[in-house]
This record gives sequence, C-alpha cells and structure tokens, in this order.
Amino acid sequence: MIAALLMAVVVGNETPLADPKLEARAEALMREVRCVVCENEPVSQSTADIAVDMRRTIRNQVSQGKSDAEVRSFFADRYGQFVLFRPPTEGWGILLWAFPFLLLVGVGGAIAVRLFRSRHRDLKPLTDDGTGDLAD
Amino acid sequence: MIAELGHLLAFLALATAVSQSYLGLTTGGEAPRRLAVATGLFTIAAFVTLIISFIRLDFSVALVAHNSHSLKPLIYRIAGAWGNHEGSMLLWCVIMAAYGAAGALFMKNDRLRDRALGVQGLLTVASLVYLLFVSSPFERLANPPLDGGGMNPLLQDPAVAAHPPFLYTGYVGMSFVFSIAAAGLINGQIDREWARRVRPWALTAWSALSIGITLGAIWAYYELGWGGWWFWDPVENASFMPWLVGAALIHSLVVTEKRGGMAAWTVFLAVLTFCLSLLGTFLVRSGVLTSVHAFAVNPARGTVLLFGLAAAGGAALALYAWRAPKLMAGQEFDPVSREGALILNNLFLSVGAALVLVGTVTPMFAQALNISLSIGEPYFQLTFAPMMAFLFVVMPLAQASPWRKAELAPLLKQFWVAAVVAVIAAGLAMYLEGNFAPWLALGVLVGAWVIAGVITDMARRVGSGGFGRLFKLPLAVWGMAIAHIGVGLFAIGATVETTARSEQTFPMRVGETVQAYNWTFKFDGVSDGEGPNYFTSTADIVATHDGITETLHPEKRFYPVAQQSTTEASITRTSVGHVYVVLGDTIREQPGVWRLRIAHHPLMDWVFGGAGLVALGGFIALGARLRRRAPVKNQAAEPEGPAPAPAGAAGAPA
Repeated sequence: MIAALLMAVVVGNETPLADPKLEARAEALMREVRCVVCENEPVSQSTADIAVDMRRTIRNQVSQGKSDAEVRSFFADRYGQFVLFRPPTEGWGILLWAFPFLLLVGVGGAIAVRLFRSRHRDLKPLTDDGTGDLAD
Repeated sequence: MIAELGHLLAFLALATAVSQSYLGLTTGGEAPRRLAVATGLFTIAAFVTLIISFIRLDFSVALVAHNSHSLKPLIYRIAGAWGNHEGSMLLWCVIMAAYGAAGALFMKNDRLRDRALGVQGLLTVASLVYLLFVSSPFERLANPPLDGGGMNPLLQDPAVAAHPPFLYTGYVGMSFVFSIAAAGLINGQIDREWARRVRPWALTAWSALSIGITLGAIWAYYELGWGGWWFWDPVENASFMPWLVGAALIHSLVVTEKRGGMAAWTVFLAVLTFCLSLLGTFLVRSGVLTSVHAFAVNPARGTVLLFGLAAAGGAALALYAWRAPKLMAGQEFDPVSREGALILNNLFLSVGAALVLVGTVTPMFAQALNISLSIGEPYFQLTFAPMMAFLFVVMPLAQASPWRKAELAPLLKQFWVAAVVAVIAAGLAMYLEGNFAPWLALGVLVGAWVIAGVITDMARRVGSGGFGRLFKLPLAVWGMAIAHIGVGLFAIGATVETTARSEQTFPMRVGETVQAYNWTFKFDGVSDGEGPNYFTSTADIVATHDGITETLHPEKRFYPVAQQSTTEASITRTSVGHVYVVLGDTIREQPGVWRLRIAHHPLMDWVFGGAGLVALGGFIALGARLRRRAPVKNQAAEPEGPAPAPAGAAGAPA
C-alpha cells in the first residue's frame, strides 16, 4: 500500500534540501538503499520512477529530523533487510562486521608471536647498494 | 561449413590436449611440448572460425543468430563472438591453451615444464569438454532466421569489447600459474628457482587482470549512466578476489625468489588464485546472480563449473597437503625487515580477499535460507577501505627496508618529509571540502603518504649519484615505484571521488539555463537521429565555465532489435575532475520537459590513471624480469628459450 502511495506522488523536480548538511546525509542514505525495481542499483542511481519517490521519501524524512537509523528501518520494515546495502549492526550482523578485523588480529597476532619468539638478535641487514638489485 | 570446421578444430584441440596432459605428466620431453603448441593453434583456429561466422553474419549458427544482427557495426560483430556465454567460454579455452603453448615455447626444458604442460593440458581438456558438451558455440539452427536477435546494447561499446580479452588473459592466465605450482608440488621442488620461473607468468596474468578490471570500471562509469565506477557488485567482486590474491602472490613470490622464504604460502597462493578465478566464473555464470554477465542461464552449466572447481581445488590441495610439510623454510630473518613487511602485505591482502569473499557469498546463502540480507558498498567502504589504508602506510617503508633485518628508527627517520607532506595534503583536502570529513582525510593522507614515500625511496636509491642515476635504477625498481605511485593516486582519487562527488537533476525546457558546479548549462533542445543499429535522441547543451564554452551532446539511444535503451553520457574535463551530463527521460505530466542529470566527479582521472599505472608497473616488472634473464642465457648458463616473449605469445598486451 505504501508502495502504491509512493508511486502516486507526481514525478517532478527533485529539489535538494536547503541545508547542505541534511542534503549530504540524504544523499548518503540514497546510496545505501536499493532500488526495488532495478535491484542492482541504489536509489541514488536508478532512473526508475519509484526511485525518484524513494529519494523524495528519504529527503522528507531527513528534513523532518529523522535519524539515519530511523530512515533505514523505515525502508527495512517495508521491503525487508534486502533493501539496505548496509547489513544490520545487531545480532548476527555484528559478526559480519567484526570478522575481518578479528581475522586480521587473530592471524596477524599468531604470525607475530611466532616471528618474535624465534627472533635472533644477531641478524644484520643485508647490504643493499641502493641500486635495488636485491630490492625488486 | 565454417562452423563445422570450428567444431572439428575444437575436437582436435581436445585430442591434442589429452595427449599433452598424459605425456606431460609421464614421459615429458619434446612430445608434450609440440602437443601444447598444437592445442594452442587448434583452439585459436577454432576461435577464428567463430569470428568469421560472426563477421559473415551466418545466422544458421545459433550463437550468431542469437547474438548478432545485420545492422551491427563490424567491430561489434567481431566482439560479439565473445559477448555471450558460449563464445566467451571458447575465448577461455583459447587463452588457456595459448598460455600452455607459450609455456611450451618459452620455458626451459625440464621436469617442471613437462609437468606444468601436463597439468595445463588437464585444465584445457576440462575446459574443452565443458565447451563442447555443455556450451558449444558451433550449434546450427535447422531454420535460420532472416536476421539475428542482436546483442545486449549495453555491450556495444569499445571499452567493454576489449574488457573480456584482457580480463581472461588475467583470470584464465592464472591457470598457468596454477599449473606450474602443481608441477612444482608434484616434483617436490618449490624453491627459489621455482619462484623465479613462476613470476613472469603471474605478473603477465595479474597485470592483464588489472587492465581488464579497469576497463570494466570505465565502461560502467560512462555507459550505465549513473557515473559510478565500482559498486561492490558480486560480479565486480568475482574478478576482484583473484586480483587481490594475485597481488599477494606477486609479492610473496619476491620473498621466495630472493630469500627462499614463504615457499609453502607462496605455492598456496598460486593455487588459490586460479581457484578464485573458477569461483568467480561459477558465481557469474551459474545464474546465482543477475547481471549483464549472466547471459542465458542453464543450471547444468553451474553444476559442471562447481564440479570443476571442486576437482581442481581438491586435487591441488591434496597435492599441497602431501608436499607442504617437506618444503624448505628459507633463510632466517628478523620480523622487522623486508620479509616481515611483505608478510604484512600478504596478511592484509589475504584478509581483504576473505572479506570480499564473505561479503559476496553471504547474501547468496542468506537468500537460499530465505533471510533478507544485502551486503553492499557501505559494508565494504567501512571494512575493506580502512584495512587497505593500513596496508598503504606500510608500503613505502617496505620498499626502503633492507632484507633480513631493518633498523626501525633510522628507517622511519628517512620518511619524515613524506609524513609532513601527507598531513598537509589531508589538511588541504579537508579545507577544500569545507568540513570535517574523516574518511576523506584518511584516504588523502595515506594516498599522499604513499606517493611521497615512494619518491623518498627513489631518492634514497639514487643517493648522491645525481639525477642521471635515477635512470640507471633497475627496471624492476621502476615497475614497483610506478605501480605503487598508481596505488597512491588511486587511493586519493577514489576517496575524493566517492566522498565529494555530487549530482543534481534538473527538469529543463528548451532554451532554459541552469547553474551547477560553477558551470552554466544552456539546454538547446533534443534532435532525433539514427545510428547504424539504433535511434538516438541527442541533446545540445552549451556549457560555459570561466569564459570557456563547450557543446555537450549526451544521448539516449534506443536499440529496436533488443527493444532496449541506453544512455551515452557526455563528459567534459576540468582541472579537478569530470563534469558528467546525462540526458534523462521526458517527464510524463509535463510535455517538452527533459530531465537532465548533471554530476561532478572530482579527480576521476586519478582513479582510472592510478589503476592504469598499477597495471603498467606490473608490465614493467615483467619486462625487467625478461630482460634480466637474457644476459644469463648469453653466458650459456641456462639453455632457456628466447627471452622476451611470454607476454606477447600469451596474448597479453605488452
């Protein structure tokens, strides 16, 4: 029903918000919301009419003082989490956000421990004559 | 007859590839070498017959009928040969077999070559079987149509016509790296000599892959009409994963070649890169994704590809598990050293690749489990980008640190000027942007640090030798410096472009004028015209900026055969970026009003230029590698084939 309501809005001019800070926030959000017609595009890029309406909705909500999280959940509630290119930062989603850094620290730490444990203090730098013969 | 001839040639290639793999893995010697050359020639000939069918518009060939049209310009008729699933699989076989042939011609005659040709033969057999029995490009139609079905008009573009050959030279070229790795594992010899011989192939494939990915990004930028060049789309990620692991590989190969270290890890990467190429192909072609690359989808193809991936990966991993414990450890080094820095490089690039992999496949699993989830640009920008930023900080230090052990304090001291330059650049970027933008600052900071740091390192290498000595530095050093400067330019360009790009849409009547990004645009109307196979609406826009006047002609094209529209953006350059104009639709409720999208993409040339320099640096390093080998041969130390050829022969652009 909401979709139909959104569609009914006449497609016309898309006026950027007067406040550049709000507009920047709105534009950032537009890049995070998937167009429900052209599924591989965010609404910021889609030329579909519904994307125009979704952009307008985002601008309206931002200008009404809604937070980014509120705008995101507005769309997620209606179209599912699929509509947001940003995965959720709660529940299992936290693991998704954290795993690259956990992996980096875990593997990096293990390597570092191994290298520093077997460290020999008496190693000398290999002399490099500056031509880079050893250095490519 | 020509399609049947092609079909026959592909079968001949299959026969020679079977013998090549058997003899390569058993007796070795001249026979597999000649057979590998024959396999290469047969597949190339088969491909030529397909191209001829496309040029001659032989609509009795099903592939031509489905993918071409009599009105299509010649160049796109030729490119049409690989602008579809079956034709691109034939291109895949051609490049795989050509790498085998190049290996046969240019590698030293020994067990490593024999077995590499044997394994490459096996991969070629699998590819040809897949081609001939699941996706044959030579099928005929009983009732040929009068005209063809046309190609996806989005693909009627020079950048995207050249994109698959480069991409495959990279992606599929990694098959030969895989083969040499498997051969080394079979021989139980993964050492400095092995690394020395893998490196030119890895550099060729990786540099070509860089060009292929860049061409794809350029195409997306101006052809899709929204001005984006990278969206962390699964299809893009599919080619980016082998690129990342390939980048780790060409760095770890250096450690193995110079110091004998990291052998087990290096050979693992060599195997993994091609496995990721296969995984990427599976993701793109099996139909689990919807994209311009998905072509006609057939579930059998996906299953066969998955089976091939499991077989190649499984066999290689089994080999690896068998041999890895016996691989040598290499020479000792301190954690603070060139070796240590390159381990960091590999850590970051591999974790980055793992991140991209998880971010790409998780939504697919989620979909299978009916969980609503997307992972896109915001996720990768917040996880991948900072990780790479950290890697870039280490980059100039790694270049300047000696092998075996580095003294950290004197090393860092050399770079204080570079650090100051980077901080100033970041401050300047924030000042120009006009507000506190942490991501922008971070990107510019590391990018400027890399560029200034690489220059610092080059100055150190020149020492007091003066300017003339700069040009006496080894080519390999130049390759590294150019690629790394490319990385710095890219980092700055990409962050500035993504944080500061902006776009506005204006509904405009003829004669109206708008102001955007310090430019004035006067809309002089739209005229209709006809191209070879499309109708076009071309806008006339007079753009004025600082007293300079330019006429811009953004177009909307309609391709009647495909019943599809495309946009052709009109782009003009300023000193700081691109002004990008797209002609949108007319507005239903307001006749005579067109929607005009005007965007500003700051530092866009830095993005593509930086990526181009990365590829160029790779090719220069390859050139250095080939040139250095030549004198060794003249001293009669190694009876190796004529040196400067693998690149050209493998179909790579040098």
